[in-house]
Amino acid sequence: MLDQLGNGLLLGIIISVASVALSLLYGVTRIVNFAHGEIIALGAIMTLFFSSPVDYRVLFLDKYSPLGYNFAISCILAVIVCGIFGALLEIILFRPLRRGNVGNIAVLVVTIGLSIFIRHLYLLFATGKVQDFPLELQRRQTYLFFDMTPRNLNVLIAGIVIMLIFGLLLTYTRLGKAMRAVRDSEELSSVSGINSDNIILITWISSSMLAGLAGIFQAIINDVRWNMGFLILLLIFAGTVLGGIGTSFGAMVGGFMIGILVQVSVGLPFMEGHTEAKNAVALGIMILILLFRPQGIFGQKERIS
Amino acid sequence: MKITNKVLFVVFLTGLSIYLVFALNPEGAPRILLNLFTFAGIYGLSAIGLNVHFGWTGLLNFGHASFMGVGAYVTLLLMPHAAGREGEITSTGLPFIVALIIGILSAALFGLLLGLPAIRLRGDYLAIVTIAAAEIFRLLVRDLESITGGVYGIINYTENLQKYRPNFINSLSESSGFSPSQAWVCLVAWISILITVLFLKRLNSSPWGRALRAVREDEDAVRALGKNAVWLKLQSFMLGAGIAGLSGVLLAFNYGSLETTVFVPLLTFYVWAIMILGGVGTITGPIFGSIIFWVIISETDRLAFLLFENANGQQLAGVRFLLVGLLIMILMIFRPSGLLGKKEELLLDVK
Repeated sequence: MLDQLGNGLLLGIIISVASVALSLLYGVTRIVNFAHGEIIALGAIMTLFFSSPVDYRVLFLDKYSPLGYNFAISCILAVIVCGIFGALLEIILFRPLRRGNVGNIAVLVVTIGLSIFIRHLYLLFATGKVQDFPLELQRRQTYLFFDMTPRNLNVLIAGIVIMLIFGLLLTYTRLGKAMRAVRDSEELSSVSGINSDNIILITWISSSMLAGLAGIFQAIINDVRWNMGFLILLLIFAGTVLGGIGTSFGAMVGGFMIGILVQVSVGLPFMEGHTEAKNAVALGIMILILLFRPQGIFGQKERIS
Repeated sequence: MKITNKVLFVVFLTGLSIYLVFALNPEGAPRILLNLFTFAGIYGLSAIGLNVHFGWTGLLNFGHASFMGVGAYVTLLLMPHAAGREGEITSTGLPFIVALIIGILSAALFGLLLGLPAIRLRGDYLAIVTIAAAEIFRLLVRDLESITGGVYGIINYTENLQKYRPNFINSLSESSGFSPSQAWVCLVAWISILITVLFLKRLNSSPWGRALRAVREDEDAVRALGKNAVWLKLQSFMLGAGIAGLSGVLLAFNYGSLETTVFVPLLTFYVWAIMILGGVGTITGPIFGSIIFWVIISETDRLAFLLFENANGQQLAGVRFLLVGLLIMILMIFRPSGLLGKKEELLLDVK
């Protein structure tokens, strides 16, 4: 059971970062974003696009690739592209919908359509095959009581540090306070001199950048696939719901709990020979949480209407 | 249904799309059309069931694929079949119609089991719960290989339905050159649609149907008048799930082998696209929506084949999903009530 802990932590960091992003967006805009997984995949695909060396085949993209940039620079560029993508989504699609007073449910269905659309754009124009980042293979090492490769350990630490900084910024800066004000009431915050459109735009950008980062993590730990975001989307929902929708620290912890739970459940006695069903455990817990404690572990009840 | 301009327009559009199949396929149009109408019938039936959930009652169900799956798996497993990698054909089993009824009832029961706790949740939470429950169902079916055949699926069951195939289909298909077994599935699908539509029309004008629509409009008012709103919602959930179960069985007979990959969330989104296209809250809308949808899909496949020369099969299939996504988005933004629906009957701010 403990040998799965390392894998659990790694899955946890992916879900955790992505859950914080999803939770932030939901908290401010009330949008349940099914296209979140596609922004995650964009982060990974863009990193592959910027970093792949000359003899690397990425279907369709190989006409424009290879750029062969340094890997770290590629990651930063990819995260920026994700931010721009999020901003475009808000300006082109979601702001007009908000202006037109389109209901939350209609917006939810729109994000589902958007998710299917973007995902298959990736399939057509980016990659139909499973790809790996151009990084050398590393051997697993044992740290304390879990083992993972040194690179994955760095990912884990970097992810935790970035999330902590992000959480502190949200809690203590004026911007974070403005975001919470917009969440509580868009009209009242506008009256108090907050430009709610700008705040929502910034929310979209930061949520998308975090999601892109989660995608890069996922691709380093596993690989790049066109549907990688959709495969993990429900687990991200589970992490967000478990921690409490709309709370960043809750989503952080919830994401880790779901990741560890999924991987460790493989080692449980009654799961022997049923590894296929490991995601079902996490989804089942999400349903139970929604039924009996919809505010999650760390959420506050009054925020759930 | 009153003959309004809207109805005429939709009938015209449906006719035009069928004509397009003939125009674009000089050879083999009857065969393509049969395939198209079989899928249109099955998915249309499923969309009618979804419309009971969303259009009539305002329940945001994104786990429709699991209702179809429960119906299909229960029905097939009760009849003679072969499951798994080296599964032997079981010779004993119930006759088709008995198994079908149990399958439909199981789908409705699954709807009740899922709905009982979930129905009180607000819209977006219900969406997440239903899609997660559908995934759990799919993962469990894939995991229980000894019963359901797991990833290897179920085969050798089509004879259960095909042995009732009437003779005139055989002679008809000999003269026009299409598969008699698919023609029979197609006929059964459209008979099922006819029965379902007549049944729903009767229900819609009954006190029960009016109470259901009242729940959608104002739940508190219904409660104040002494109706049990939660129980009404549950009944609607079971009814829609049962219809979905029937369509799932037909889908399995159309494919000839049943695997868990059929019931991925994308199946649910297909049905959603058809329902929105046809008209949310209407009874017959999804039928027209389904025909138009499948004409678009089947012609997209050909177009994609011409457009993308060096794409593989997976990517070609991707083009149709691309279109489904776009269709859902555009319809939801510009015409959320679909071709036939009434905007004032649409409830998109369900809390």
